[in-house]
Amino acid sequence: MRPLTLGRLLFRCGILAVILFVVVVIALKMGAVQVSLYGLGRDLIRVLLGQSSAISTDYGMIVRDIRLPRILLGIVVGASLSVAGASFQALLRNPLADPYVLGVSSGAAVGAIAALIIESHLALSPELAGLITPLGAFIGAGLTIAAVYFLGRRDGQIDSSTLLLGGIITASFLSAIIMFLMNTLSGSNLRGTVFWLMGDLSTPQPRSLLFLLSFGFLAAAGAIYTTASDLNLLLAGEKEAMHLGVDVPRVRIVVYLAASILTGLAVSVGGTIGYVGLLVPHVMRLIFGADHRMLLPAAALGGAIAIVIADTLARTVVAPSELPVGAMTAMAGAPLFIYLLRRRIT
Amino acid sequence: MHRIISSFVSRPAALVHVFLFVAAIGVFAQADSPRPSSQTGARELVDEMGRSVRVPVSPTRIISLAPSITETIYALGLQDHLVGDTDFCDYPAAAQRKPKVGGIINPNLEEIAALRPDLVLVTKNINRLDTVRALDTLGIPTYSSSAPHTVSEIISSTQKLADVLGAPEAGKSLGQEMEGQLAALQTKLADVPPRRVLFIVWTEPLMSAGKNTFIADALRKAGGVSIVEASQDWPKMSLEEVVHLQPDYLVFAASHSESATRDFEALATRPGWRLLDAVRNRHFAVISDAVNRPGPRIVSAIEELARQLHPEVFQDSPSPERVSPPANAASFVSPHAAFSSLSPSYCSGSVESSCVH
Repeated sequence: MRPLTLGRLLFRCGILAVILFVVVVIALKMGAVQVSLYGLGRDLIRVLLGQSSAISTDYGMIVRDIRLPRILLGIVVGASLSVAGASFQALLRNPLADPYVLGVSSGAAVGAIAALIIESHLALSPELAGLITPLGAFIGAGLTIAAVYFLGRRDGQIDSSTLLLGGIITASFLSAIIMFLMNTLSGSNLRGTVFWLMGDLSTPQPRSLLFLLSFGFLAAAGAIYTTASDLNLLLAGEKEAMHLGVDVPRVRIVVYLAASILTGLAVSVGGTIGYVGLLVPHVMRLIFGADHRMLLPAAALGGAIAIVIADTLARTVVAPSELPVGAMTAMAGAPLFIYLLRRRIT
Repeated sequence: MHRIISSFVSRPAALVHVFLFVAAIGVFAQADSPRPSSQTGARELVDEMGRSVRVPVSPTRIISLAPSITETIYALGLQDHLVGDTDFCDYPAAAQRKPKVGGIINPNLEEIAALRPDLVLVTKNINRLDTVRALDTLGIPTYSSSAPHTVSEIISSTQKLADVLGAPEAGKSLGQEMEGQLAALQTKLADVPPRRVLFIVWTEPLMSAGKNTFIADALRKAGGVSIVEASQDWPKMSLEEVVHLQPDYLVFAASHSESATRDFEALATRPGWRLLDAVRNRHFAVISDAVNRPGPRIVSAIEELARQLHPEVFQDSPSPERVSPPANAASFVSPHAAFSSLSPSYCSGSVESSCVH
């Protein structure tokens, strides 16, 4: 295999970026209300020229205020999940690891439900009230990450298999708590939570949150990227990596924290969207190889592409109703996973 | 070798990331523009959720996000101003032909925006708060009705809605009609002891309506009393408890009486259920699923139940024409919708067969 050079890396990322762009344009075009490519282009030019007021209501409200924010949210969520998945797979050296394997999504769900309960007792302005669920979810995810981290430590160091088992047990414990809360509480707010548990991007998020998510993603993904070549060596084994001069405990903590933050960000707005974090890294590894310097950006772009496609389908297949995007990713993801699995065996 | 490459590779690659996102965010941020404020003749009012909203004095492009509201709009004669409703708005039949904006829990925002409504109506008990917030963000006026706990709250809520829609007289006469019908019924039932009933919302698992729901109040108005004392809205019941409490009647709400009869037969064959006197004596009442909707038809559903619980009182007066059930049997009505969304697994395939409508 030819060595990875900067040119090859940029070229491959460029191809993926072009695919993402095309997918986004198609996603912008598709939906309950038909818009034309010409109209999209015309309005993009108007926006760039600063003539936003000339845009018709259909395009203005539907494309700009509803469709575009949702697609951008999908991009950030997909990229976060996929990078987190690739990181956890490398860190735990387990091909089955995905962003939710350490119980983060269950923790986020408990946090979101708690936030909804607290919210109903507070008189908050709509602006703040819209932020409280993601915030609660993020705090829940953070607390779970911390708890699993302490469960997964052995002799002051993270032990991969202990961490994995600790995460699985924590997840099942928290799921039980969710079941308990869902069956004892009633109220219209909890109905949203169910949707959220299935993975859903249909709720428009405040604009400020999208900025926050984007910068959180850049920071956390950037932190993981600094360890990319260490992760490559880690694939050979922890002892081997250590002999080759990798500061294994440091890499583990950086990747663990950053990947958990990515998961927390994604789950706080999108709920549990399965298979993206598990599958996209595998597919990218098949196409581009296991070099994490290539794999991480490829996974980010691939995850974004996957979610935008899945969410566009979720929006359109049963229009005017919508499916949760988590249902779409699972429907497409599970068969694909089985295919990849069988291919590897034979 | 790895190190050497990575030292120059990592930074530009990160830059690609940054570029992509900043570009996306840049376009997005620039797209922010002042929204045209085209609302002339609007007034400020407080909805039943306590939000203050600006609504047109007499809205002409209304979207209803709840079946009960759709029914109310038709009952008020304002159907020409209704430009869209949900997949579950199946009554009256004409409501099925209105443009659909998706489900109750997950309406399609694009579809709503495309219909250019000047008012969207939601109810606190079945719609999501997120939907209201999203509509607020889009600058679409949204009025929310409260979650009624009694039949009289349904009537007052109907009248408030009529005021909001600019039809206070129609609301007043509709309210008086409902109240009059109820009062006549109460006079009839004044001397009969109430029947102890179990209202069955769902059979698997067995769910009933709690004491704070308008359904419990509707049962009272129909000369019944629910054996369920739970303060939860849709409590799960254990068979043990039901056998212990021994209801006089089982009450099913269905769009088709045959499906409710099938449900009853299915229950009767289950172990344990034969311990119920009501099952052995085939004491079950089937009423229109209108009872599940806090809308105008609830009064006739109450009367329908009263006739089955206390036939002796109604012997002299002929039964009024039964409100014909909508053709579309797969109607998700409010409590079901509330429940099905709380436990999605239960409403997968079993809605038609084992669940009461």
